[in-house]
Order: sequence, then C-alpha cells, then structure tokens
Amino acid sequence: MLQCIFLLSDSGEVMLEKQLTGHRVDRSICSWYWDHAISQGDQQLAPVIASPTHYLFQIVREGITFLACTQVEMPPLMGIEFLCRVADVLSDYLGGLNEDVLLDEMIDNGFPLTTEPNILREMITPPNIVSKVLSVVTGNSSNVSDTLPGATASCVPWRTTDRKYTNNEVYVDLVEEMDAIINREGILVKCEIYGEVQVNSQLSGLPDLTLSFVNPNILDDVRFHPCVRFRPWESHQILSFVPPDGQFKLMSYRVKKLKAAPIYVKPQLTSDSGTCRLSVLVGVRNDPGKIIDSVTVKFQLPPCVLSADLTSNCGTVNILTNKSCTWSIGRIPKDKAPSMSGTLVLEAGLEHLHVLPTFQVAFRIMGIALSGLQIDKLDLKNLPNRPYKGFRALTRAGQFEVRS
Amino acid sequence: MFPQFGATAETLSKASTLVFRIGTDAHLYDDPEDGNIVELLESKFDSEKCEALKRLLALIAQGIDVSNFFPQVVKNVASQSLEVKKLVYLYLLHYAEKRPNEALLSINCFQKDLGDTNPLVRACALRTMAGIRLHVIAPLVLVAVGKCARDPSVYVRKCAASALPKLYDLRIEDNNSSIEEVVGILLNDNSPGVVGAAAAAFASVCPDNFSLIGKSYRRLCEILPDVEEWGQIVLIGILLRYVIAKHGLAKESVMSFLHHTETPHVGEDDPTTNFMKEETIGMMDTANSELTHMICRSYIEGPDEYLSRSSYINKGSNTLDSARYTSSKSNDDVKLLLQGTSPLLWSYNSAVVIAAAGVHWIMAPVENVKRIVKPLLFVLRSSHATRYVVLYNIQVFAKAMPSLFAPYYEDFFISSSDTYQIRSLKLDILSSIAMDSSVSAILREFQDYIRDPDRRFAADTVSAIGLCAQRLPAMAETCLDGLLALSRQEIFSSEFGSVDEESRVLTQIIMSIKSIVKHNPLRHEKVIIQLFRKLDSIKVPAARAMVIWMLGEYNTLGGIIPKMLTTILKYLAWCFKSEALEAKLQILPAIVKVLYNAKGDDHLTVRKVVNYVFDLAECDISYDVRDRARLLKKTLEYNSGPRILETENSIPAEKDLQHAVLEHLFGGNLKPVSPEPPNSRFYLPGSLSQIVLHAAPGYEPLPKPCSLLQDDLDQISNDIRGMDLNEMNDSNTSSGSLDEETASDYSSQNSISGSSNNSDSYENGSVSEDNGNNEPLIEISEVGIAPRNENVDPQSSLAVGELMSKTALESWLDEHPGLANKDQSDSNRVRRTSARISIGDIASRVKPKVYTLLDPANGNGLKVDYSFSSEVSSISPLLVCVEVLFKNCSAEVVPEITLVDEDSNSQRDSADQLVVGSESTVPSLSEVPHLVPLEEVTSLEPGQAIKRTIQVRFHHHLLPLKLALLSNGKRIPVKLRPDIGYFVKPLHMSIEVFLDKESHLPGMFEYIRRCNFCDHLVELNKDKSQGAIEKDKFLVICESIALKMLSNANLFLVSTDMPVDSKLDDAKGLCLRFSCKILSSSVPCLISVTVEEGKCSEPLNLSVKVNCEETVFGLNLLNRVVNFLAEAP
Repeated sequence: MLQCIFLLSDSGEVMLEKQLTGHRVDRSICSWYWDHAISQGDQQLAPVIASPTHYLFQIVREGITFLACTQVEMPPLMGIEFLCRVADVLSDYLGGLNEDVLLDEMIDNGFPLTTEPNILREMITPPNIVSKVLSVVTGNSSNVSDTLPGATASCVPWRTTDRKYTNNEVYVDLVEEMDAIINREGILVKCEIYGEVQVNSQLSGLPDLTLSFVNPNILDDVRFHPCVRFRPWESHQILSFVPPDGQFKLMSYRVKKLKAAPIYVKPQLTSDSGTCRLSVLVGVRNDPGKIIDSVTVKFQLPPCVLSADLTSNCGTVNILTNKSCTWSIGRIPKDKAPSMSGTLVLEAGLEHLHVLPTFQVAFRIMGIALSGLQIDKLDLKNLPNRPYKGFRALTRAGQFEVRS
Repeated sequence: MFPQFGATAETLSKASTLVFRIGTDAHLYDDPEDGNIVELLESKFDSEKCEALKRLLALIAQGIDVSNFFPQVVKNVASQSLEVKKLVYLYLLHYAEKRPNEALLSINCFQKDLGDTNPLVRACALRTMAGIRLHVIAPLVLVAVGKCARDPSVYVRKCAASALPKLYDLRIEDNNSSIEEVVGILLNDNSPGVVGAAAAAFASVCPDNFSLIGKSYRRLCEILPDVEEWGQIVLIGILLRYVIAKHGLAKESVMSFLHHTETPHVGEDDPTTNFMKEETIGMMDTANSELTHMICRSYIEGPDEYLSRSSYINKGSNTLDSARYTSSKSNDDVKLLLQGTSPLLWSYNSAVVIAAAGVHWIMAPVENVKRIVKPLLFVLRSSHATRYVVLYNIQVFAKAMPSLFAPYYEDFFISSSDTYQIRSLKLDILSSIAMDSSVSAILREFQDYIRDPDRRFAADTVSAIGLCAQRLPAMAETCLDGLLALSRQEIFSSEFGSVDEESRVLTQIIMSIKSIVKHNPLRHEKVIIQLFRKLDSIKVPAARAMVIWMLGEYNTLGGIIPKMLTTILKYLAWCFKSEALEAKLQILPAIVKVLYNAKGDDHLTVRKVVNYVFDLAECDISYDVRDRARLLKKTLEYNSGPRILETENSIPAEKDLQHAVLEHLFGGNLKPVSPEPPNSRFYLPGSLSQIVLHAAPGYEPLPKPCSLLQDDLDQISNDIRGMDLNEMNDSNTSSGSLDEETASDYSSQNSISGSSNNSDSYENGSVSEDNGNNEPLIEISEVGIAPRNENVDPQSSLAVGELMSKTALESWLDEHPGLANKDQSDSNRVRRTSARISIGDIASRVKPKVYTLLDPANGNGLKVDYSFSSEVSSISPLLVCVEVLFKNCSAEVVPEITLVDEDSNSQRDSADQLVVGSESTVPSLSEVPHLVPLEEVTSLEPGQAIKRTIQVRFHHHLLPLKLALLSNGKRIPVKLRPDIGYFVKPLHMSIEVFLDKESHLPGMFEYIRRCNFCDHLVELNKDKSQGAIEKDKFLVICESIALKMLSNANLFLVSTDMPVDSKLDDAKGLCLRFSCKILSSSVPCLISVTVEEGKCSEPLNLSVKVNCEETVFGLNLLNRVVNFLAEAP
C-alpha cells in the first residue's frame, strides 16, 4: 500500500507531504528523486522507479510532480490511477483547500477511501466565490461538513439522495477525439475515434435514466462510469444508470478503422545543398457539412536545422526558441487553400535533411460526431415533472499526426 | 533601473494574491508561524482553534516539527466542533508515535466519540484511534473495531475494515485471531463498499486464510461488480488465489493449453475452438510454448525459485501433473469468477481492467482470452504513466501468445507524443506480433520511424526490424535489403554532425544484419559480400569490428568470399595502425581464422600478412592488443610448427589435443544456431514486480494449485450451506441486524466444532458434584430498591471512595466521561423484580484448570503440571501463586528438581514494560524477583508425585514467562503461560456496594462482550439420563456458570439474581455478579454475567460485562472470561 505522497514543485521543492501509514518515509527520497530526474537529463522518467529504498510512482501535471512511495508489492496502476484522481480533484478544488483534510478523506492507511468527486465535494466543500464571501462576512471558514453525506450509506454511493432542483435538466454531450496517422506516402495508416458521452445532470430525487443509440454496433470497445449497469448493456446495448449529480463522464468508447479524415495536410520537404524547402498545404476533404475551426499545425524542427523562415497565406506562424513551430490557421476559408512555405537552413556541412519532422494537427468541428454514433433516445424515470433534455456533439483532433 | 516600478509590481502582485486567497486557507502556507499559535489554541472560539490547527498542519506539511504543541492540541480533542476534531485527529496521527504518553490521554475522548450519534464522528474517532500505533491501546482498538464492524452506518463499517490492517501492523500475535474474525464478519457484509475495504484488510492481514473466502465465495463473486473500484482490484486478486488454491489451474487456459494438446479434451464440434486451436498451434512455435510454460511456472513458484531450480533440473520433467488442473468450462467456481470479472473489463479504472484481464489470462479458456485484448488496448488511451504500465503487461501477453494481439498491430503504432520508454515497449511488441499478413504494414511504418529526429528511437527501430526478420524468415531478404540500403546513406560515412547518435544507428544496422545472417549464412552470402565491400566506408569502430568478426566467421562460406580474402586482409593490414581499439581486437582473431583455413598459395600470402599484423600489434600502445597478439602467435606456432617442420618430440596425443583446440577455436565449422533461451522473468500481470523486474517485498506468487486441504473444503462447503440458509432467513432484515446475526452465528460454529474434543474435565466435575452440598437455598427479595447498608464492610467502602475520586487523567482533560453514559446506567438501575438465589457451597467444587509445563516425552519421564492457585502471595502483590505438580512417569528415580528463572536479567521491550510499569503503584518494580524459587525436590521415586507452590511475577499479563527446569543437572527451558484470571484476588462485597461501584464505572470503563454457553446442557442431560429427581433448571444453569467462572478465575461471587416473572423455560435475565481486585494495583474489577437469551435446555447467549478502572486490564480480563465461558466443558 502507498506509504507517502509528496507534491513537488517544478523546482523540486516539496510542497506537500502526506504520510499515510506508520512506516514513515523520509523526505530525503524527494531529493533522491530530483537528483535522479536531473541525471536523466531531458529524457522523461519512467512512471515507476525503483529507488534504493522505495518504489516510486510519479505523474507530472502542470509542472507539479505527484510522487507516491511504497516499499511493498502493490498494483502499480493502483498507485498511478490514484495519483491521477488526486490531481484531478486537486485541480477541481484548487484555490483554497486544506489539502491535508482532503487527502485524509481520499486515502486511509495507504488504501483509497473516497475518490468519488461528487461525494468529496459534499464532505469537504470546495472553495467557491460564495463560500469565500460568506467566510469573509461571517468569519466562519469551515469547509468540513458536519454530517456524513447520505450517499456513503446508500447503494448508489455516487449520488446524494436528497437533491432538489426547480428546473430539472439533463444534457448529453458526445465529445469525440480523432486519432489518425498519415504516413510519409500520404496514406491514412490509422484513423479512429475516441469518444466520451458526457452528461450534466441536474435532476431531483433518485432518477433512473436509459440511454440508447441508433447504431451501437459501430462501437469497438467501451468503458463505463461505475453507475452504469452492466446487464442491460450486455444484452441490448442500452445504457441504464442512476446518474451522479452534476457533470460526469458516463461512458467512453472507441470506433476504429474510419475511412477518411475531414481535412488533409500535405507537407513537402526538399533539401538541396544545405538548405531545405518546406511547404505545407491544408484543406478540407470529405466536407463534414459543419465548419471546421481552431485548425493548428504544430511541428518540431529537427535539431540539425539552424534557422527557419516560414510564411503563410492564412493565419500566423510562430517559431519558438526550442525550435517548435505553430501554424494557427483558425477557420479554413472557403475560397482558398491555406498554405505555408519557407526555407530551413541546415547545419554547416549537412547536405540533406536526413530526419523528418512529424506534424501534429488540431481542429474542432462543432455539432457533429464524426464516428457516426447517434443517440436514439433518453428515457427518464422516477421524476416528478418532465425535465429538459439537451443533446450536443463535438469532434476535435486527438493525436492527429502527419509524417513528412 | 526603475525601482519604483518594481515596488509597485510587487505590491500589486501581493495584493492580487491576497484577493485571490481571501477566504481560503492558502495564506496559511505563506507564513504559518505568524500569530501566536498557543494563544489561538487556548481560545474559546472554534474558528480561532481551527486557524491555529491549520497553521500547525501547514507546518507539518512543510516538514517542520511542531510536536511541542502536543499537550495544547490534545486538549482540544474534546471539542464539539467537527472541524476542530478532525484537525486535531490529523495532528494526533502525525505525532502519536513520538509522544505515546500524551497520546494516551486522548483515548478517553475517542471512546466517547465511538458512541456518538453522528456516524462521521464515530468513523473519525475509530480511524484516529487505529492510527495511533501504540501497543498499549491495541486491545481497546480491537474492541472498538469489533463494535464498529456491527455499526449500522456503512461508512463506519468501512472505516472499521480499514482499521484492521493498522491494528495488524502492531504485530501482536494474540490479536490475530480476533482480527481475522472481524475480517470474516466484514467480508460477509451486504454493503459492497464494506466488502471492498474488507478485501483490502484480508489481503494485508491474512492473505492465506482461504477458509474465510470459501464461506462467502459465491456472494463475493456476485457482489464484485458493485464493489467500489479500489476494492475490486484487491478482491479480484484474492478470488483468483482462492480458486487456484482450491481447484488448480484451468486446463483449457493459455497457461496449460499447449501441454495438453495431445489429449483431445477440447470440444471438436466447436468451430471457434478448432479455429483457435489450429491458429494457436500454427502460430506458437516451440519457443513460445516453452515460454508460456515458463510464465505459468513463474506465476506459481515465483521466477527466482523457478529459475534457480530449472538451472539444474531438466526442464521437461517439471510439468504439473494433470490432477492439478480443473476445467474452466465445467467448474462452477471458475465460471463464476470469469463471469464476475468480465464486466470489469469495461471499468474506468485501469488498474481494475488489468486485474480482470489477469484473471482471464490465467484462467479463461484459450478461445475466450481474446476478450481481454480490446479493453487492454483501450486503456492505452489514458495517461502516459498508465500506458507505460499496461504496455509492460501487454508485452508479456504478446510474447506468449502473439496471435492475440496480431490483428491489432495498428494500436501499437507510435505517436510523436509517446515517451521513449513507451516507444521502445511498443517496438518490442510490434516485432513480436508481426505476422506474415501484417509484417509489410509494420515494416512500412518502421521506415518512417527511422527518419525520426530521436536517433535513439531510430536505432531501436533498426533492431526491431532485425527481430521481425528473425521471426519471419520469409521477410529476411526484404529486411536485409532495406538495412543495407540504409547503411549506405552518406550520413553514416561522413564524419560529421551528431556523430554519436548516428553511429549508434549504424552499429545497430550492422548488428541486425549480423543476427539475421546468422540464421542462414549461405542464403545471405551476397549480403556478407556487400558488407565486406563497404568495409572502407564504415567508419564507426563498433560497426567495423562487427564486420571484421563476420569476416573471420564466414571466411570459408560459399565460393566468392574465399577469393576476396587476400585483398581484404591486405587492406586491413594496411590500415591496422589507424584502427580503433575495438577493430584491432577483432582483426587479430579474424586473420588467424582466415590463416587456419587458407590453402595453397593463399596460405603463404596470408601468412605474410598475419606476421606483419602481429609485428604491428606487438608494438601497440594497448596492452590488450599486445597480449592478444602474443597469445595468438604462440597458438599458431604450435599449429603451423608441427605441420611444416614435423618436430619429433611432440607426443601424438598432445598434438591431437592441440589440433582439436585449434580446430575448435578457428575451424569455423558453423554450428546451427539454437534459439537463445528467454531469460526474462515473469511476475503476475498487473504487479509491481513485473514492472521493476524483481520480486518486490511482499510479492506472492499464486498459491500452489489445489493446496487447499480437503477437510478445509468440507468445512467450507458446510459453511456455505449454512450461509445460504442464513441469507434466506435474513434477506428482509436490515444490514445491522444481519451483521449481528452472522457474527453470533460464527462464534457458535466455533464453539460447537470444539465440543467433541474433551470430555475428561466433565467427568471430573461430576465426581466432585456428588460430594457437594446440593440442596440450594432460595431467597426471594426485591433488588435495586432498598440497599442494605449494614452489610457494607469497611474495606470495600474505602475502595469506593478511591474509585469515586477522579483520576488524574480526567481532571487533566477537564472532562466528565461519566455524563455521556449516565442515562444508560440509570436505566440499568431500574430493573425488574428478580429473585436472589444463593448457591450452596460451590467453593468445594471448584477445580482449577491444570496446564502442562513439561511433557514426560521431553523431560525424560518427568511430568510437570501447573495450576493457578487462589492463594495470595505474602511477599509482594505482584506475585502470582502457582501450584506445580511434579510427577515421575519414568521407571527411574529423578533427583534434584528445581525451577529457576531462565534469564533473570531479561528485559522485555519497553512497550510491554509500560503496561505493567505505568500503572503499577509499586515503585521498586525491579526489586521484585521474577520467581520466588521453590525448595528443591531432592528426589522423586518412580510414580511418585509431589506438589510445590511457586510465586511468579509475570512481565505482562498476556506474555508467557520463560523458566528453566533443572533436573539431574540438566536444564530444560519451559514456558509458564499466565492466566489473567489469577492476576486478581477475590474482593468481598455486598450486592449494594457492587451496584454502587458499578454505577461509578460507566462509559469507557465498561466493556461488554457476548458469548455462548452450553456447560449446563451436559448437566441437564446427565440428570435426565440418570432419572434422578429433576433439579431446577435455573439452579443448574447458575451453578454451571458460577463453577465455570470460579474454576477459571480468582473471583468472589457477589450475587445470583434470577428473574421471577420468567417463563418456565426462558433463562433470560439470569444474572451473576462477581468481584475481584487486581493484585498489583488493588483496583477493583466487577464482572456481571447476564443471560441475554436462550432456553434452559439450549445453549445460552451470555453477555459479560466488566467494569474496571484499568481499561486495558479489564478488557483483557473480559476476553479471557468470554473465552473460557465459550469453551466446551
């Protein structure tokens, strides 16, 4: 089981230390870790490290290193997954919280206790504007709830029993990310959708929801929030669940072997006697019928490139000192195809460019799920009045890569 | 330059942070020392206390020692505010171990909080109490946990479950059985949340106690999908271990499939099976079947044991015998496990997915294993760290069964955001799952990778190409062509740029070519020739050295190479001087090999070249090169000498030997290359050890198949039957009562199972009974209304006075622990009318229990028994009198017997000392000897028995005392086990004094436990069978209980009350009261035994209550009483 959790700042300073069991972990492990990280240089560290005294699990989120230590065998994913949850919840709460109280509620003796965000929020109120103002006015700054949330006792631990809303609303969003690899010859090697069904439920009482799809058979694989009942899915591919309160991820799914990407990116590199000519063409292919916006193309210039001079007919090109280039196009215009071109100067003595950069493409299409997944209907039971139901869809690029 | 600007900016940023942090606690971290913490702690207002405590916690989180505030903080533990409480608890947990004495002061409060109506407070108190890791309070915690395990609140029960490992961590052996009992109760809980936490407790407390699992296996499997995710991870592991221990491995699983292919047990009509079977057999070559076998063995034995054993035992011989296998298709338990875990493959928690996949990998039939593939691949879409761990596990699966992942090769294509570790894992997996159908796509992908800016990754790609070509010989040509083309690139020949990284790629290219060629050199002759031709352009020393090695190795190959040799050798000799060390070291053996095989004209040319090179080498800077040159020269002289000069003096045998050596060294007869044995280690999927590739402390391989004994199984199946019935009966009752039910059920099972063992003591009892005065005297009176004051003797009233004075502990805390339980004690006082019975002289029937100190087998025929006597030592109150009975069972006289303290200087560890020391009133503890020695028994005739009384001071009322028995000059170590029932002496008092005292010892001084009692049944049955005049059943019960109590502890029977309005056969309400005082401290201790329910002719449910100011002692005494009451007669 986990023995200790440390939060390290980007300069290696210990921001938080939380001992979890009787076997205390000395802080020196952090300095060992930091030395180890420095000795590895710019390479990324492995997530699981065996130090001379402890096994360390580490994840890095926004410059903060979450470090967990153990001395005995335990599922490494349990440690990592827990750290991810801690990071998620912390960023949820960030601003003013007593991390110690929070962590204490999340883990007990190295074994996770309460990690369901909705329940945590009820036990330890996250600081928000209202509570801040209240505390200033009344001078009472307690954010530890005095009563045990009802949900911890119920058979649906993710939901409080006594929620009341005047307007009952439920929103279902399909958020999809497209992962694609287009290889050097311009062939679409891999194209798949990683999607999530995000639900924002503001419903009174203990509602029972049923969500069905028109074409569930296109789903390659799925993962569910703990609230989803397995049986109805196994038999009829229907999502039946009692939702937690507020925003949550109901399900994630994957649709593989898609035939086409909505846009094309065609990079071209020709090098000759120390200079290299680069041109990139971007355009809409297989028009999805909706506007494609927030299009950006990012790439990392190889280390052997000394300088680059790039211009585009649409959008802006930025080159940072670490040789990463970003071409932000925004919305693709109807009338012309955006293109970027320019020359790269290679290191002295190098005739040709022997390594080639990979272009990472980002885009966003509102109002469409490119996987083709369609929601059939959403039934609600156990509700006093008819709630408002809203549906949206969105597709954006995930790991969309074009090799040159 | 503009100081005023800087200053403004600074204040601005300060102001903005201030604004952002108003109402939050973040500012506490900026300057936690600010403000007078002590003052705040003493404040009347909770908000100020909170402020101070938060500052302290902020300091702790920053690693500053603030333990000096301990007393002030602990005082606040009694606060009514939950937030203050919670913060104090956090502080306490951090420092309790450093300041145990002060921490003890807060125990009072926890005890009180455990009875709070708010479950959050109860849970909090329990968590903190368990978190304070002090041996002294372990018994208290154990009781608290036991109570909370039956709490109506799920949250509290969950906290009780997670308190168990903390308690277990203290390593007090005596507690283990009680802890396991509570684990068993909690595993049977009907709330999934509790079961999850109980599973975690099980895993850390008693991972091998499968009988606990066996009882509720079915239910656990069914509840599994509802258990919260963290509990699922642990529970899956436990269930898997249980199934393997009970039924063994599944014979259709991947683990054993390949060893059973010859036995046609797979349903032939099942097309998928057939397909899979063919496919699997087709794809898994022998290496892989060996690999799965090895993985399987590693899972069961642990790789270290397996590898060390297999190094000297023939690998083929250790296949598991087929009896150890079960069928995953016909065995219900296995089916249930697989059904329970398969929906978990859809979990959001990747650790759950891996755990579930592990179960399927080990137990599922081969054709169903592919179910785990998609979920595993889906997990790859999460964080980097998760991806890394999952890939490690996939790597093993893919190596053992490439066909599983072969269709999904696209998922392992590398994206630019992957870290280096992930990339190399993916490459490895890709090269091991490449099939004839997919290899071309994979190789195309590899071509892209080679142009990646990360050259280390490019080099790895090259080696992956080499691996692919070796796995699929059909692709070898293509791969070699590609690699050769790659090596021709100018970047490798130009001595420029990032040489280091490029040279790494080139070296890798040559290495891959070398390893591909090795499999079939003749076929790839042209490749070798091309390499030799390019020797000039290969500048990287390591790569060059490798080509030169190939020259030596393949110098006789085919028809063209031998013709090229002289030219190449001349070239090498020419550039020898400028070669790097690595290349020089390879040139020397290579040319010797060539020389050895050279014939005719070539021989002379080669010889010249060789001599020239040797001359150069002998003057080299590097001594390594010089040494190697000399050695080779010498060897060659032996060889060429005899051949050319035909010297007389060399003996033929010796000549042959030399020849053989040379032949072996340079002959170059190319041996068929055997596949290298896989030398990686395998640990259970999802384990930490699999990632770090060594057994992490605490790693346990799977249990040995079918290691669960048959009689265990029988018991389990009986229990399961019982459980099922129970469940049916109780399906409508609430969770709390169910707990109660199962708990009592559990203990009754225990007591019944033990009942058949000893009937000896019962006979003793019956003999003494005949002597006894068996006519009781019944006196009916109203109890609890008018206390009869005249009966109070002066001694005990004094004791009451002592008792009533508040202990230092309470006054320190300024607390009134009595208040909380006042209501309860009031209600106790109002009791129903009852009759008081006096039992006739029961003292004469008391027979103390006899224990064995020394068995005649160990003591050369000398048998030593002991029993605790009710006498009280006259020397010191710390001494306990023990009667020792020596008996000579041998045929010879045993002279000179005596008992001495084994090691009079031995000191117990401080924690135990504390128990006795902290509360004892005798200052000169060390002056009291451990043993007042008895007078020596001069000699003991055969058959003679002699009794002596010794006085012993035990270190601790639970730990045995080590003594040595000296007999006939020999020293035999013996252990004297203490009986807490004799650490007290009878305290005479009247019923009124008793009740008065009892009312002053409520709350934390009072402990209640329940147990079952069935001694009276024996008595009743005997009466029936003898046909004697039927005695009053109530009397029999009273007598049995009193007898049992007095025979096992040194007590005074105060009163026996019997309900008057009771029904004929209902013993409910029967109450016996006993009093005593602790030997060492003279603290009174009151025991009441009440019949809670039960018919006279059935086992009774007793509740035993102990009221004692010394809580630890009282608790231990209570445990002891409950144990012996539940013991069979």
